[in-house]
This record gives sequence, structure tokens and C-alpha cells, in this order.
Amino acid sequence: MTILEVKGLTHTYSESSAAVTDAVNDVSFGIEKGEIIGIIGHTGSGKSTLVQHLNGLLKPTAGTVLFKDEDIWKNPKEIRKIRSKVGLVFQYPEYQLFEETVYADIAFGPKNMGVSGDELDGRVREICNIIGIKDEYLEKSPFDLSGGEKRRVAIAGVMAMKPEVIVFDEPTAGLDPRGREDVMNIIKNYREASDATVIIISHSMEDMAALADKILVMNKGKLELFDTVENVFSQGERLRAMGLNVPIVTRIFAELIRRGINLPENVFTVEAAVEALKKLKEEDGNA
Amino acid sequence: MDNIIEIKNVTYKYTDEDKTVAAVNRVSLNIERGSFTVILGHNGSGKSTLAKLLNGLNKPTEGEVIVDGINTKDEKYELEIKRRVGMVFQNPDNQLIASVVEEDVAFGPENLGIEPQEIRKRVDDALKSVGMYEFRKSAPHKLSGGQKQRVAIAGIIAMTPSCIVLDEPTAMLDPKGRSEIINTLIHLNKDKKITVILITHYMEEAETADRVIVMNDGEIIDDGTPKTVFKNVKRLKEVGLDVPQTTELLYALNQNGFKVDTNVISVEDTAAAIAAALEDKKD
Amino acid sequence: MLNDITFGQYYESRSPIHRTDPRVKIVLTFILIVFIFLSNNIYALIFSALSVLAVLLVSRVPLKMYLKNMKAILPILIFTAVINLFYSSKGTVLLSFWKISITTAGVYRAVFTSLRIILLILISSVLTYTTTPNDLTDAIESLCSPLKYIGLKSAVHTLAMMMTIALRFIPTLIEEAEKIMNAQKARGADIESGNLIERVKALVPILIPLLMSSVRRAYELAEAMECRCYNGGEGKTRMKRMKLSVIDLRMSIYSAILCAGIILLNVLI
Repeated sequence: MTILEVKGLTHTYSESSAAVTDAVNDVSFGIEKGEIIGIIGHTGSGKSTLVQHLNGLLKPTAGTVLFKDEDIWKNPKEIRKIRSKVGLVFQYPEYQLFEETVYADIAFGPKNMGVSGDELDGRVREICNIIGIKDEYLEKSPFDLSGGEKRRVAIAGVMAMKPEVIVFDEPTAGLDPRGREDVMNIIKNYREASDATVIIISHSMEDMAALADKILVMNKGKLELFDTVENVFSQGERLRAMGLNVPIVTRIFAELIRRGINLPENVFTVEAAVEALKKLKEEDGNA
Repeated sequence: MDNIIEIKNVTYKYTDEDKTVAAVNRVSLNIERGSFTVILGHNGSGKSTLAKLLNGLNKPTEGEVIVDGINTKDEKYELEIKRRVGMVFQNPDNQLIASVVEEDVAFGPENLGIEPQEIRKRVDDALKSVGMYEFRKSAPHKLSGGQKQRVAIAGIIAMTPSCIVLDEPTAMLDPKGRSEIINTLIHLNKDKKITVILITHYMEEAETADRVIVMNDGEIIDDGTPKTVFKNVKRLKEVGLDVPQTTELLYALNQNGFKVDTNVISVEDTAAAIAAALEDKKD
Repeated sequence: MLNDITFGQYYESRSPIHRTDPRVKIVLTFILIVFIFLSNNIYALIFSALSVLAVLLVSRVPLKMYLKNMKAILPILIFTAVINLFYSSKGTVLLSFWKISITTAGVYRAVFTSLRIILLILISSVLTYTTTPNDLTDAIESLCSPLKYIGLKSAVHTLAMMMTIALRFIPTLIEEAEKIMNAQKARGADIESGNLIERVKALVPILIPLLMSSVRRAYELAEAMECRCYNGGEGKTRMKRMKLSVIDLRMSIYSAILCAGIILLNVLI
């Protein structure tokens, strides 16, 4: 089932805008329910602008965004409803924390959606359980937490709305390796618990290779590629021309193949690479 | 050996909710003039505290930091130490002061009371050395993260420091911005002979360094050339460092019975190491 | 909605007014404003208006940009005109209802006051359109520098530093406010609808994060300034020195002629 469909989406910014912004030009694609989509593209390629259309934060200059076959802008007054169906976690989401306690901050989203009482309490505790926020943290001020913990709480605040599609804009930016691993695990855990559709913007081809089903490549406001991880990462030259690259492991394999070693090209993760090399070694041993 | 910075048995303690924490614990370290040193460590390992000890922003609780023969505790030389040991921080937005690039770069020399013509010359030179001269009239908020960070570096260079300390300058940047900064630093070190101390948690940024120091829990746990330090992948992973995928692959191969050389980082060297290991097997 | 805020209205051009020293521009603008207010008869005021028009043309800033500024002050203009219209009881009565009557003197007064305000706004717009915010800041600091002889040196410097930092950070903070607003909207916050109290309450989730981040920025900026040898302005030099040139003298002479014209018309008629 196609859960989100973008048709001919174009967005141009007026010059007066204070922010440095990037336009989107005639982009169309569809996302199936339950898929994990990675979005890659260099800074200014239009990826942040694109995802802000998926939950109606931005209104298309032209084109439509369909959620379950219905135009999200069909009734502009109801646009807020889409925000609980398509959750969006911004870059550095910890800067959105404002409540006195972690609990209240996580409850902010669902409360805005009209959830209250036991259901609200249940939602907050359920999400904390899934992504590992301990009970003793709930009454703390979010401002007393460490950087990584703040981000976890901020992400929980969006997840507590139980969105069917959840979009992350560079969820690991600025974190150290442990923090990054934590965030990637939170995303995996949430997906397992909720079968939500996940969209992630990232600069890390390695993370994309490990996590995504399909990759969407943006370049200069246009959709350049939208295909499986294998089909996207097999086009190294094209990606490099856009200032992107393939995962490091794939680059190492390309170099080994160039040296005349008989290895497959479609290797994107460390695990796959070890397997491929082991296989090669065994074949050599048998020969 | 000519040392620009000497850290002698330094401890730095601070109080957090009635607890006294030693962010830096009995560290001794000499930094050689003209060298490129990378300090690796995860968040909270004490690396940022150590950085601020180098220019007197933090004063040691115990021990001494000597810069060019001057003790950082000596208040008479407060400004002179900050001039000699320039410092660049993580968030480029929060270190630019003026709304025109060249005026921002002039801020340091102006504070030092340099003559106007000399400031002009230094500002132009500094901007050229980081490749931002053509943006000298731009407003900082119109620049990319990497460009802003290069302006911040130019602002330090204009004070003609002998050493520049950078505290996670690439943490908030995209891959393009990161490589811009690393290339700028290599250029400043090799061509302008400025001592560079780069603090980061990205191991691959340490690849071209003369020396790598690994910190954990306020202490130095490893110190040597990149090759010797990176041999110990297991330990680096244990202390929460970002091990590049090349190293990760070599490490995984070693554990699976391949005899590969693990102290390489670049893609080419890794491929060569794997090819060599495969050759060995055939013999 | 924050997109509408534009800070600093500088319009790039190489007109003689652009090239005039910002300090001279501030002083001349101030003097011209005083003289426009001194115009006490309609001839002097018409002369002032023609002079201002000449200045607008010389500034090489499109006239529609000045009109945009006029539109912004239209409510104030109408309000002042209406007050003045009813204020005067002298002169021939033109229209009378209930206890209020409109007289010729009232109409005259309304037109006169409105024209003064229009001229005042136009001449100040010339200053802001032809001078960058940075130059304005430097000029104000320079003009205030005599205050240091009466022991206000650090006050002058602090004021200038504050203005510089404000200029630098306003765009950054606007951008940040937009981001936070979007993040809260993505969590279902309703910012655009509701009554006044609801709308004020809806601002809390935006203002608190903005405040927290400003405090953090201030702290980091202070540290960065310290690392760049900032010492409260003690012994500070400037890279750019403002120097008076021939064009400043010419501008001063033209302005003096305009002022003399206004005085003559005031006295003679």
C-alpha cells in the first residue's frame, strides 16, 4: 500500500526569507507502508525543504502530497491533523524542549492532538519503554540532561504522537559515536514496535547502507535517483558527480576489483564484505 | 626538542551538584612547536577541558601549563597567552562577532591595538590562507557551516598565533565542510608552520597527524603516531571513538582468520592490505 | 510570519549620498529634520518638500522603496491628520455636525502636519537606505566619542559592541525562531489560531527554547571573545578609519543652502 505519494512537488522561496533555503523542483515519488527510506544529497540540495512538505509545514508552490491517497491540503484548516500521522524530527531536536519535566515535554505532542488522561499517560510510558528512557528521568528537567539524553527525549516527543510515517532530518548530527549508535537503535526499536514507515535524511552512506530499503537522491532541488540501496550505490560515478559517495566498504571493493581480484561489486556493509572475502578465501583454498 | 606547550601534572576539578569532578586528572604532556597533534576522545572524556587549559581559559587546579615559557596562571600575560594560543570552537555561529566577514576577522587584531594598515594586511592574508578572501564583504549568516568555521579560523590567524587549538571544529558540519576544515588545517600547519592541536572524535581526521593522543575519563590512555595508536582498534572502540569503516573492516577480517595489517586508514591502503593478505594465502 | 521582518534596509548603489561619510550623513539628516520642522509657512514647507525630493533622486534608491516606507506609516499619518482636522476652531467653518466642526484652519493644519511627517520619514529613509547597519553603528560610536572626556568611555564602547552583536545575531535568532516554531508545529502546536490569550500561551513553547539557546549562545560568544583578546575595549584600534573627503564637504554645503532657503522663506514671507 502506498502511504505517501508526492506528485510534481515544487517549492520556491521568496527572496525575503531570512533563512538560507533550498528550493524543490518538480519532484514525484511514492513510499510504500513499512519501508525505510534514506534521503541523501549535499547541503542545499532541497532535502530539508522536501520533508517539510510531507507533514504540511510547507505548502507546495505547485504539485500535491497525498497521504493514503488523500491530498493533505484538501482542507487547509485541518492541516494540523496530518502532523500526528507524519511525524517530523528536526535536526538538533533537543532545541525544541521547553517543558518543566521530561514527562510533560514528551506529552506535549499527543496533548496537542487531543489525547488526555490515562491514554496520554499510557502513551508517554509506552514510548519511554520502547526507546529506553528510565522512569526516574521523567520528573527531571529536560535542561539538566546530557546532550545525547536530550535528543532521546526530543525524539520521544515526536514518537509519542504515534505517527504512521516518521521522518528524521539528520538524527545523529553533532553526536559522538555512542550517541549516534543510541539514536540508530532508538529508530530501529521504534520501527520494530510500531511497524511505522521511516524516512531518514543522512550524510552517512554507511548508515544508509546498513538501515535503508531504498534511497532517494536529491540534487539541486531535483529527484536524481529513487531506487534500492543496491541500484543506487552501484552508480558511484553519478553520485560522485553530485558531491556524494558510496559507502567506504564499496569503495574498498571497487579498488580490489580494479586490482584484478574476483569480488562482487554489490557489497555495502562490513558484514557483507567479510562474508564475500571469506567465500573468496574458501574458493581459493579449494582450487 | 622545542616545546611550545608544556603541561605539567595538571588536574582540573569543577563542582557539579555538590560533587567535585576531576575533568582532567594528572595529565602531563608536551606539544612540539610546528607539530600537528590530534586529541581523540568521546564527549565527557575531558578533551574540551584540556583544550581550555592550553590558553588559560581554564586555570589548572593543580599543576602548571607553560606556553612559550609563560605560566598560564600569570595574570600579567593573560592576553599574550590567548594571542599565542588561538582557539576555535564547535559552533561557528557563536564565535563570529561582526556582521561582515572582514570586520569579524579584524576583531582580534583590533583588540590587540594593532595599527590600522597592519590590521588590513593581516585580515587579507588570514582570509586568503583559509580561502575565504572572496567572501570578505559577505554576512556570516549567508555562509555555509564550513565557510563560517573557516572565517573563525581566519579570525584567529589574524592574531598571528604560534599555535591554534580547535575544539571539535567539524562536529556540526556536513562532509564537505569537514574536509574543507581539515584541508585548511593541513595547509596552515605545513605552509604557515603553525602548531595545530585538533580535538575531535572522528578518527579519520587524525590520519595525517604527526601525533595522536587518546583521552578517556580525564586521562591520557594512548599517545603516539596514528599508525601505532590505530593498531589497537578494540580499545578505541571501547572508549567510544568513531572508528572509520576501513579500520572496522580490517578489524573484522582479522577476527575472521585473515592476517591483515590493521594500522591503515585510507581506502587505497586498506585495499592494498586486503590484497596483500589474499596474496599471502595463495602462497 | 517572521519572514516579513527585514532588518537594516540598505540598498546597494554608488550614489554621492552612499559615498558620504556616515557620520556626516547622520548629522546632516538631523539638521535637515530640525529645519523641516522650522518651516512655518506653506512656501517654506513646499521648498523643503522639493529639496527632499531632490535628495531622494540623488540617492538613486528606487522611489517605490520610499513609497513602501510611507505605506507602513499610513495609519499614524491618518491619525495625526484627523486629530489636527478637528483641533482648530479658527477660520471659516466648512462642515459642522454635532459638537464638531471642520474649519479651513483645521484642514490647513492637517495638511501641514502630515507633510512634515512625510518629509521626516523620507529624509530618515535616505539615511537607512544609503548606509549599511555596520557603518551606522560605527558612526554612532564615533559621534559619541566626545562622551569619553566626561568619563563615559566604556559606556560608549559597550553600546557600540552591543549594537554590533545585535546586528550580527538578529538574522541568526530569526532563523532559529523559525526552526523552533516549525519543530513545535510538527508536534501539533497550534500557533496561528485561537483568541489572544491562547495565542500568547502558544508562544511559550517557542520563547523558552529561544531564550535557552540565546543564553547558551551568549555564554559561548563571551568565551570566544575572550579567546580573541577582548578586553572591554581597552587600547582597541580600528581597521577602518573614517576619513572626511571632498564629497562630505559638498554635501554639507548643499545642505547649508537648503537650510538657508528655508530660513529665508520663513523670514521673508
